[in-house]
Amino acid sequence: MAESEINLAKTYDAVVIGSGAAGGMAAHVLTSHGLQVLLLEAGKKLPIEQELRSMEWPYDNAYRGALPPDRHSLSFNEYTIRRPPYGPGFEKSRHLHSYVGDTDYVKNIVVDERENPFTGTNYAWVRARCLGGKTNIWGRLALRLSDYDFKAKSRDGYGEDWPISYNEIAPYYDKVDLYLGITGVKENLPYLPDSIFQRPTKLNCAEVTLKQGLQKMGRVLTQYRAGVTSDGLKHNKYRSRCYGRGACERKGGCDIHAAFDSPTGLIYPAMDTGNLTLRTNAVVREVTVDPQTGKATGARFIDSETMKEYSVRAKVVVVAASTLESARLLLLSKSRLYPNGLANSSGHVGHNFCEHIMGPGVAGRAKDLVGKPPTLDDGRPGGFYLTRFRNLAEKHPNFIRGYGFEGGSGSVMFPHGTDSHGFGAFFKEEVRKNQGAYIGMGAFGEVLARYENYVDLDPVVKDKWGIPALRFHYKFGDNEHRMAEDMKETAQEMFEAAGFEIVRVSSRVLTEGWSIHELGTARMGNDPKTSVLNQFQQSHDVKNLFVVDGSAFVNASCQNPTWTIMALCWRSCDYLADELRKGNL
Amino acid sequence: MSTNDSMNLRHDRRQWLKASATVLGASLLPLPAVPAETPQAKTATAPEAKPAETKSTARFFSPSQHHLVEELSETIIPADSHSGGAKAAKVADYIDQVLRESIDDHQKELWREGLRLIDLMSQHYNGKAFVDADSEERIAILTVLSDNDKMTDLPEVRFFHELKRLTARGYYTSKIGIHDELEYKGNRILQDYVGCDDQGPASS
Repeated sequence: MAESEINLAKTYDAVVIGSGAAGGMAAHVLTSHGLQVLLLEAGKKLPIEQELRSMEWPYDNAYRGALPPDRHSLSFNEYTIRRPPYGPGFEKSRHLHSYVGDTDYVKNIVVDERENPFTGTNYAWVRARCLGGKTNIWGRLALRLSDYDFKAKSRDGYGEDWPISYNEIAPYYDKVDLYLGITGVKENLPYLPDSIFQRPTKLNCAEVTLKQGLQKMGRVLTQYRAGVTSDGLKHNKYRSRCYGRGACERKGGCDIHAAFDSPTGLIYPAMDTGNLTLRTNAVVREVTVDPQTGKATGARFIDSETMKEYSVRAKVVVVAASTLESARLLLLSKSRLYPNGLANSSGHVGHNFCEHIMGPGVAGRAKDLVGKPPTLDDGRPGGFYLTRFRNLAEKHPNFIRGYGFEGGSGSVMFPHGTDSHGFGAFFKEEVRKNQGAYIGMGAFGEVLARYENYVDLDPVVKDKWGIPALRFHYKFGDNEHRMAEDMKETAQEMFEAAGFEIVRVSSRVLTEGWSIHELGTARMGNDPKTSVLNQFQQSHDVKNLFVVDGSAFVNASCQNPTWTIMALCWRSCDYLADELRKGNL
Repeated sequence: MSTNDSMNLRHDRRQWLKASATVLGASLLPLPAVPAETPQAKTATAPEAKPAETKSTARFFSPSQHHLVEELSETIIPADSHSGGAKAAKVADYIDQVLRESIDDHQKELWREGLRLIDLMSQHYNGKAFVDADSEERIAILTVLSDNDKMTDLPEVRFFHELKRLTARGYYTSKIGIHDELEYKGNRILQDYVGCDDQGPASS
């Protein structure tokens, strides 16, 4: 691919800030419309295959795959007993990472917490500053939202409806499916629309048992809908089809890029159009504006290595820095015209912050599989997804909205059960005999979007580049805790119905942020007084400013957001290109 | 030793620790030697330490400690008719590497203290060092700790958890653990996904 140098004298058609799912998609769509695009990424371009080494055996790794000993990743306990900024107390570790950074394969992908501090309430904020961002290591579950989500307020009266309906975004979900590839099985569920699926993965035996048990209860278990190409993509030379190699349960990405990541899926093809310029190590500190017209004029960034500051100009500014970083950037972009931050006349930037609550779940054993010869169970990008069943037809008395479960079963490279009681010959044999019989699942539930859950700028603390840090004012509420109670009970009830031996039922709610699905800090809406963006993710206040990542979400739903982020972004960028052509921006 | 004895760990330990104090001097009291809180809580006020010396090749264990760790890990995961055990998988070497590269002084201290306490227990219950005890005698010592594995205020119990955790980690990430013991089928290229109704994976 042709990499071109940044031209500081040029006015680009668009500058895109951030290179993850949203920024990559914006780069793809805008360059395909012939626009000259500058893509700014705060982190480095990593030699990603060398980082991920997806097929490396543990015994061939210097640390058996664990994090090198001079680094530390935060544990649930540490997130619980400590307050941000995370750093003091870990002076002996040369690098400190979020909980995700606990393997040798992701250590350079996730940020150092000390270079990137934040303050306020406890939050497991997982950030990946490198080309492609978190798409390098995402969980790959690729789900659509439906009008149960887009029109949730009309159903239960809480919050706001989205300014779009499923019919308007469905064609863009289709485009994302076809351009990036997705595996799955059609289920014809009104609340979880099907994608255009490639060859699906297969369920293993314990999963089939659970599926059958659930059918009697009217609940649905389907193959993991993975943002992975299983048949290959003829139009993309950077990605291989999935060969089911079986280290997919390991936290980390896919070094053959069968799983979607933004660089190989979107950015490299966009470079091949000749219309994309990429600038890495560009930490954007401000979206600049023309004090006369009030329109955005470009961005100011600091080179992360030299600390030198640069300005770039563009006709349109597209913010795609991730939900929380995008809100931070808007708040940082204060000026005489916009004293509360850019695009913030509503005062809603940073607010209505929502995500998914997780933690409750169950682990069990399928007794009929104990002692069976070992099978290959993890040669696939994921196990199963157990779809939402609460507040669809019937109304639950204790909470609104819903949750789904992600799960899997069978043998994995490092066996389950090594934490069971005992030792010696019996222990060893138990681990061996039970390894293929394990099945587990954990819930992801909707956290309601609330104005009172928000982020703002810390008045004192700054990051390594002198940029004010984000301050969190964010807690799960009563609806979430009542939902978590139900998650635990239904998880147990479903495993009992399937006839599994229950090994562990977990009611523990994980730290806020754990799902890595933060959303909603610059929500869309039709009313400029209560929303930041219109239905095309265009600022109500500044018409040549777009915010195309998860911050635009009106609610979190309970489905994983990446596919929706990309479908929305595609739709908005089609609109952007059209408006620019018409001279409306 | 009957299993009833194992429930008296709190009572018994006074005796074997007293014996050790007599032999080695009262400086070893009071106990427990290692505080129970998380290591990080302490390092908060610790003076600035040097960056980790990850390239260190000096052994953490002395030769006699290494021998003891070999026998302890083999007692946790022994060789059997199915596959080799922790000794064959060189688990003691793995644990030595983890500890010599560790920047957690509490973890290191727990291992030193744990190995010392194991031998005191072995002297008390078996009248000989752990490595000189036979297989049943060794199992008896670890059974005392395993049966009382909730008593995590006691350093020997915390050591037992740590011994078991690192033995399992070292063993099941070794060639013997992955291939011989578990006969892991994954991490290779397949033509198609394998599922419940398949006879076996179609390898390419």
